[in-house]
Amino acid sequence: MQLLSVHRTFPRFKQLIFRGYSQAVQIQNEDYTDAPVYPPILDLSLPAKKLRTRQSLHKKIQNINTVEEKQIALNMPRYYGWQSIVLNENKIPFNAMPLVQHYTRTHFQLLDKLPDIYAESSATADIVLQEIKSCIEECIVTENEGVERNFVTSLNIPEKQQIADAHTRNIVKQINRIILNNLTDKVSHVLSSQVDYNPRHEAFWFVGGVQLPSTVLKWRKKQKYYKNRLHEPLDRPVQYKGSPLLTIRNHLPLKPIIPYSEIENPDFKVPKFSHCPKTVGYFTEFRHGTNIPGFWPGDFDEFGLLSFHGRGHILDRKDSFGQEDNLEALHCQAIQASFGWLLAQANYQGFTTFNDLTYPLVTQTVVTDGQMVSFYAYQLNTTVIHSDEVDINPKHNICFGTKPMKLYESIENGSVKGLNEDVLKMLIQFYLNAPEERDHEMKPYLGKEEQIIADIEDDNKRCWLESTYKHLVSNRPKHNLIPEVYDWEKIYKIQFNTRFYEARRRPFELDINPFQRRLDEHLPPYIPKVLRPYPKSKKKFETTYYPKV
Amino acid sequence: MKLSKVLCRQHVGFMFKRHWLIQGKRVPIDLGMEESLKAKGIPVEDALEFVKEKPEPRERLEIIGPHEPIKPLDENHPDYKEKPCLTLKNSSVLLEGVSQAQVLTKTIIAEGRLPHKIEELAELAAPKAVHEGVKKAILSANVFDCEQKKLPKIKDSVRPAFNFPRILGISDRRRNEILTNKLVQLVEKSNDAEVTQNKYVVNDVDCQSIFDKEGDLIQFQDVSNILVTSNKPLKHELNESDIPFIKIPDLYPVKHTVTLPPEHFYDDNSKYPLRPSVAKKHPHTTWLHFNKTEVGNLYESPVTQTQILGRSLTHAFTVASAYAKQIHGEDVKDLPEPIHINCIQTDGQLFHFGVFELNTLNVDGTDGVKNIWYTKNNVKLYDSSRYLSGMPVLENYNPKVYSYINAFYNC
Repeated sequence: MQLLSVHRTFPRFKQLIFRGYSQAVQIQNEDYTDAPVYPPILDLSLPAKKLRTRQSLHKKIQNINTVEEKQIALNMPRYYGWQSIVLNENKIPFNAMPLVQHYTRTHFQLLDKLPDIYAESSATADIVLQEIKSCIEECIVTENEGVERNFVTSLNIPEKQQIADAHTRNIVKQINRIILNNLTDKVSHVLSSQVDYNPRHEAFWFVGGVQLPSTVLKWRKKQKYYKNRLHEPLDRPVQYKGSPLLTIRNHLPLKPIIPYSEIENPDFKVPKFSHCPKTVGYFTEFRHGTNIPGFWPGDFDEFGLLSFHGRGHILDRKDSFGQEDNLEALHCQAIQASFGWLLAQANYQGFTTFNDLTYPLVTQTVVTDGQMVSFYAYQLNTTVIHSDEVDINPKHNICFGTKPMKLYESIENGSVKGLNEDVLKMLIQFYLNAPEERDHEMKPYLGKEEQIIADIEDDNKRCWLESTYKHLVSNRPKHNLIPEVYDWEKIYKIQFNTRFYEARRRPFELDINPFQRRLDEHLPPYIPKVLRPYPKSKKKFETTYYPKV
Repeated sequence: MKLSKVLCRQHVGFMFKRHWLIQGKRVPIDLGMEESLKAKGIPVEDALEFVKEKPEPRERLEIIGPHEPIKPLDENHPDYKEKPCLTLKNSSVLLEGVSQAQVLTKTIIAEGRLPHKIEELAELAAPKAVHEGVKKAILSANVFDCEQKKLPKIKDSVRPAFNFPRILGISDRRRNEILTNKLVQLVEKSNDAEVTQNKYVVNDVDCQSIFDKEGDLIQFQDVSNILVTSNKPLKHELNESDIPFIKIPDLYPVKHTVTLPPEHFYDDNSKYPLRPSVAKKHPHTTWLHFNKTEVGNLYESPVTQTQILGRSLTHAFTVASAYAKQIHGEDVKDLPEPIHINCIQTDGQLFHFGVFELNTLNVDGTDGVKNIWYTKNNVKLYDSSRYLSGMPVLENYNPKVYSYINAFYNC
């Protein structure tokens, strides 16, 4: 740099510098090849150009080093957050199964027993079953009749549901405790696993193949730019929010249920559901997309083994929905929860909704109310469901599930009647399913040395990214209100131009869509003059480290 | 701003009211409409004929809502009693801390020591994998949990009016829940299945103990955040001869019922959370969380160290006495056999261990049979665990705490 500036001051100085690296022959070699090499022929049509920009964005996200920066990158295009379709764990509308299957790209198989992979642990499970049977019976009786509890309920969720879930939570804690304590000596992964109560599970992805909202269509019709591509597909952001009763996680992932080579089998069919999600009863919310599997990046135990979910929300469903739909709602809950948790875990491995998984991830889900138990095993094979890939991606996710089964018949005179040993055995088999080390690279899209922001050496960058990431995923309301068109403006300015003499200052008068604002389109924090570095610094604003996508 | 003429003039509401008054008294002007209509042969009818009468007020219906209506707190409330009961709740502390708790529960204290057996068991070293687990638990509770709730307001005593931005993070309630539950899980996992089969662990159960002291009715309402119970009562062999006990102090000029607010709505009976029919009902260890945001003095002054320690004692007394009353009946005074209970209080960093021996429920005066409280306080689990400039940090982990917890579980 110094030399360059010297050039400018003394023009002749350039001749004095020895140019040691100018080699004419080499240049010739580089410029000429034996066979002619042409640049690739690119399709210059508008859709192809648009596709290339999208793909370059996906590539850029793939090349980012750390998990958290990737998450910020996913949110870069929207300052006010994505208008996401919210899938809530505890609110499943009528006939939601096709939508949930399409949105999670899941093939669902209803089984009577667990998949074949669990057969190997059958013998051990029988031994454990005999050892813990009496304890389980005792704890069920104690939790139902022996302990006095005051459930404190809040007003925003139906009371029945809250009480049912609180009751389930207590029973699940006891059963989990008994099984874990028994298994510590028998299998090695139990001691190193962590148990979480009520963790925060959130997942964010884009889904394609959904009809355009009428507002978008109406807007596009007005634009010349969209004249010939009115029905161009649109990605819909989806956000899952849930909180299981209890989860177990380990530093190693579970074995795949079916081999990775078989996942492109066309027999695994997924229904298409292209209608507007509003028709089913799902609504949208402006929020930043978050992927959280119950812990922040950096925790060692980052693969889920097992999660327990309550089914209190069934009590809040209308009677007119019927038994069959209630059963489907349980399947939906399990599919959403498993997909959501695994997707968040995959995000911590460096994959996103734009960069597909290179290996399958597996989790096990139990939906229960303390008496009725249904088991689900879920294999996540793909995470890309956005509109470019939704029709051509051959991979599907697979969920195996059982119907709800009774753990016991009833409680009479302080003892459990008719404990269903098969159900208990299945549960034990879930615990016995040991995670294993994989022989392939787990984090191909993360940096070699920097995988999370705690690895970054630059102090300022690390602190800035840390606080920005946490602020983003907290989805804290903005200090300034989000922009809106007031009713009077709509009437007197948009529909009837009665105030033509006024200066045009509002965004809709300047043809600006405030919701298209990017995350980094704001003034960075100002550095007061006294705080600027000595002797003289013209830098007025602090540096930001938004990922460049 | 003073309510003055200026304000009245500016106030749209007042203006509107006044305007309404004036407009309400307007007399309709005869526009000659009636005559002209009549001239054209159009019939004119009186508008008042069409005005409907005021509907009769309907009877108030009692709507069954999704939640039971809360009964008003008056003399007709089923729990109302004439005699007030002085109540100590889980969220409040005693003014004088340990010494007031001593007077209330008639207890002598062995400070800084635990029973022999526990000290011996605590000497045993735990395997490395377990300590790794404890470290994971600490980090998980302080750093890696994803709860983002508003933490308490930050105040600077130099600039008391300054509003700092509210920080989101893990609330102290959640932090304590995670840490203690994971510690108990680890202790149980590292023990044999035979030992754990004889124990039972319940979370967040209410204990209530009500008793007379020198003519006052006093009740302790406590929440046991983790209650470990066992199939047979806990027994400690306490050797009292060589211990310098702290005698029951004189609180004068403070009365021992200070900061116990009188309450008229209460239950006459003590309450132990596990019913008598349960086999593993005998209390073994009770864990108490000190959540800084939830526990406070009645008069909002900050909670002192001695008040926190006093909480341990009253808590152990509550659980032990509720259990004693369930076994021996409500009116039992001197117990035929002493009841022992372990108590661990923590604020997530400092651990206070205690062993309580309940000998009597007759807490009048300072003479006669007394209860005994062994305590070892302020054992630090770690110095700091947080995000330090973007990196998770755990400084100075103290393995001693786990040994004590393990010893408590196994004794």
